[in-house]
Amino acid sequence: MESGLSETIALVRNSLHAFVPELILSLGILLVLLAGLLNRRRGRLSLMVFGVMLLSFVSLPYHAEPFAHTLFGGMVRSDNFSAYLRALIDIGGVLTLIMAWRDKRADERLSEYYSLLLSIILGAHLLVMSQNLLMTFLSLEIMSLCSYVLAGFSFTRQGAEGSLKYFLFGAVASAVMLYGLSLLYGFTGTLDFSSETFSAALQQQQTPLVFAAGLMVLAGFLYKLAAAPVHPWAPDVYEGAPMPVVAFFSVVPKLAAVGALLKFVLVLNAYGHSAFDWQGVLAVVAIITLTVGNFSALWQKNPKRLMAYSSIAQSGFLLVGVVAFLPQGMQFMLFYATVYVIMNFLVFIYLQSFENIGLETIASYQGLGRQRVWPMVFLLVGMVALTGLPPTAGFTGKLFIFSALWEAYALSGKPVLLWLLVMGLLNTVVSLFYYLRIPYFAFIKNGESTTSTNNLAFENLFGLLLVLLLLVLFFSPGLLMGWINKITFVIR
Amino acid sequence: MQPYLLSFLIFTPLVAALAAVFIPAGAVKSFRWLALLVSVLQVFVLLQLLVAYNPAGGLQQVEQQPWIVISLGAWGVFRAEYFVGVDGLSLPLVALSVFILLIATISSWQTTRQAKGYYILLLVLNAAIIGSFVALDFLLFYLFFEFMLLPMFFLIAIWGGPRREYASIKFFLYTLLGSVLILIVMIGLYISVHDPSSPGGLVHTFNLLHMADPSNIVSHAIFDPHNVWRLGRLDARQWAFLLLFFGFAIKLPMVPLHTWLPDAHVEAPTPMSVLLAALLLKIGGYGLARIALPIFPDAALYFSSFIGIMGVISIVYGSLNAMASKDLKRLIAYSSVAHMGFVLLGLAAVTPEGVSGAMYQMFSHGIISAMLFLVAGVVYDRTHDRTISHYSGLSSRMPAYTAMVLVSFFASMGLPGFSGFIAEILIFLGAFKSASTNGLLHESLAIIATSGLVFGAAYYLWTLQRMFFGPFDLKGGIQPEQITDLTLREYIQLAPLALAALAFGIWPQPVLSIIDPFAQQFCEHVLTVGKSVTFKL
Repeated sequence: MESGLSETIALVRNSLHAFVPELILSLGILLVLLAGLLNRRRGRLSLMVFGVMLLSFVSLPYHAEPFAHTLFGGMVRSDNFSAYLRALIDIGGVLTLIMAWRDKRADERLSEYYSLLLSIILGAHLLVMSQNLLMTFLSLEIMSLCSYVLAGFSFTRQGAEGSLKYFLFGAVASAVMLYGLSLLYGFTGTLDFSSETFSAALQQQQTPLVFAAGLMVLAGFLYKLAAAPVHPWAPDVYEGAPMPVVAFFSVVPKLAAVGALLKFVLVLNAYGHSAFDWQGVLAVVAIITLTVGNFSALWQKNPKRLMAYSSIAQSGFLLVGVVAFLPQGMQFMLFYATVYVIMNFLVFIYLQSFENIGLETIASYQGLGRQRVWPMVFLLVGMVALTGLPPTAGFTGKLFIFSALWEAYALSGKPVLLWLLVMGLLNTVVSLFYYLRIPYFAFIKNGESTTSTNNLAFENLFGLLLVLLLLVLFFSPGLLMGWINKITFVIR
Repeated sequence: MQPYLLSFLIFTPLVAALAAVFIPAGAVKSFRWLALLVSVLQVFVLLQLLVAYNPAGGLQQVEQQPWIVISLGAWGVFRAEYFVGVDGLSLPLVALSVFILLIATISSWQTTRQAKGYYILLLVLNAAIIGSFVALDFLLFYLFFEFMLLPMFFLIAIWGGPRREYASIKFFLYTLLGSVLILIVMIGLYISVHDPSSPGGLVHTFNLLHMADPSNIVSHAIFDPHNVWRLGRLDARQWAFLLLFFGFAIKLPMVPLHTWLPDAHVEAPTPMSVLLAALLLKIGGYGLARIALPIFPDAALYFSSFIGIMGVISIVYGSLNAMASKDLKRLIAYSSVAHMGFVLLGLAAVTPEGVSGAMYQMFSHGIISAMLFLVAGVVYDRTHDRTISHYSGLSSRMPAYTAMVLVSFFASMGLPGFSGFIAEILIFLGAFKSASTNGLLHESLAIIATSGLVFGAAYYLWTLQRMFFGPFDLKGGIQPEQITDLTLREYIQLAPLALAALAFGIWPQPVLSIIDPFAQQFCEHVLTVGKSVTFKL
């Protein structure tokens, strides 16, 4: 980089036009912090954050044609794969905001709360765009550091415990990842992992050390994804954090991590020329994640912990789409990720409203099915979608990703892929058992029969919208796949 | 030809269920009248369907619309269709479904607790049952197949007996396991099969008819007969067949996968027991005849002895369990297991007699098992006790009821003159003939299977003797004044079933003439295609 100052400035200036959403987010963070000093009215502040997210969402590059702009001298790249994921991340942010707006307890430090949310979104944006090892690490750390604070934002003992656990585990994961990144830099001599030099250098030295370095970097991504065996932080963090934050954690960092992981692992795999079976590694991780997540969820008594293990298992399903290593696998993964955002928020929005009326354990949902019919029915739809049963889009998503996996198996004939297929689908049966626990208590266990009240008007409207989306995407998945289809995945 | 008859059958209950959502929950009566109205409408549509049906015409009343069509670049096109139709296999089952659903609706008349939820779920279940019998697209079939589970789960779990929670979740988990096995094969199949009628690009279709033709399989796909892939001693098509077979066998149910059935039956409310036994079990047999055997005929021939043996085991084991049962509903549930074993035996034979017999057995068992469970419900409604040993000499107090019990028991044990006899005799013939015509089954299987008739006579006659004859006596705290004879509503439910069991036993021709062309064509397809695929085309 022997370029002069003026050239650098020119480079930055030329990159800015494709970096608008991130600039908006960065400005938004500062504005929200400032506004918090001057004015503490929640309505105005929430509206402002909503505006920032909306602006970031609409300023994303939506082009029908495949495109790719490499920005800031190879630090980040804007293409339609990352644009789609960024849009999804922004939607996740907006949904979180709606939940947070209903969370009266967040009033105290609202501007900090919102600015941390926005920072994580910014980090997630950068992570899915990054094509440089250093940038990857930095954006992951933006996400992580803000997450540690946000995890403790309920200011309870449990929250502090979760936050500290998250931090300690996270610090180790980051350190390991950084070490792996430094090794890779040493092997290849470049930080730009999408470059020709990087993959050529990797291909020449297929030593076990490269494999180890790759594993270390993967561990960092998998940690954010809450995939086994680096998942144990998730249940404690979820249990202690406020509900909107839990919903946010179960979606946004995961999407960012899986996007970055997909790009990175394709490079590691050297487009099939690697001496190491990265597909096999990821398949094993997915199998363990699915099994551990689903089986651990069986014993949970707290809805948040249940959803924590559910989200671990769902990471396994996202990984299934990645493992296929096929263009349609990537597209199906995006479809599944979209559906996952919808169904997860559908569940969390009701869990939050039930937590607000003091229901903290699954057993306390007894008899709720009669008392609050519609919230429970919508929650049931969310659970059924997470299980992956028709007629919800959860089924379509699973059908798609497993189709890609079948195809990958038919092409490569690796037994581990077949095992993943069989284990993944059998895990669906296991998951049914715990996903039905809440509806089971609500509808079947007879609590004291009280008159029905349906004063969750806002949640119901919102829930109905998400339920309809899940149904529409089942009956005509083409609506969404039409867009996703246009995303071609090119690494450089 | 009336278009859209089948769609009308499927969507009327769904529309009614949607309408019921907006009726206030207090209007208990309106829900049952709505459900009855739907069932009566369906009967009229069914009559039109039967009049229009031409037994020699193959697939009829076809409605085919593209449903999900997604182009996926180089990989091809993902295509699922709304594709329904009836043929000799599905028409008797559709007729049976409409008939039994009407009876079950009448039998639900006294359900007033949470009536709104009950009838909405019943209507959804109605649509799903009929839908799965007429769907000819695998994805559509799978949708209806899965969509049956959730309503049934809640119907058992909320309105069921004391151990309903255990029984309902067991039912759900077993059946979901079965459908996951089916899903694995479904994904593999649609990736392997292309639509021959669309020129140009590769169209991956869910069309069951295309799947049954091995020439539509993309070469080098996983289910290509030339594929040399093996796991253990079996190739991919054999594994796929086994997965489908076990998936449907759980539903059927086949020993040793049957354990959900007695629990579910015992705990389910009477109308749901009726639907479970008369219709839901049939979807297992239907799935084998529509999907598993025609799509993988080579593997079906390879495993035919195994299927036959499993059938015979189900017959013998189910009968013995029935004989040992102390609870009347449990006895009937195990007798269902035994009767479904006959279906397996008939299908395994792949002779026209055997297949016709299996189809006829499904039809006839639908009528008879519905009657049996209603009969068991009569005594349960009065005393909330189904323990056989708590009753004695009921015939003196309940003569009409005893007559109905006699009819149902005799029909179920396969006495000549009832529909069960025709079915079982055809199955014996078919299974016996198999050894000399296509050499699939050993003669001894048919001979062992006849023991099912003997066992059946034993447990039914023994139950009759214990419960209905001898001196009138009640144990277990049942009061004599609880014992009253049939009400009008119970007559309305039982009499048509008794008449049907008798009519189709004396004059089976109307149903057999519908089934027979299908059975002929089915055997020819499985044998010729199966053999040609076995020898790699």
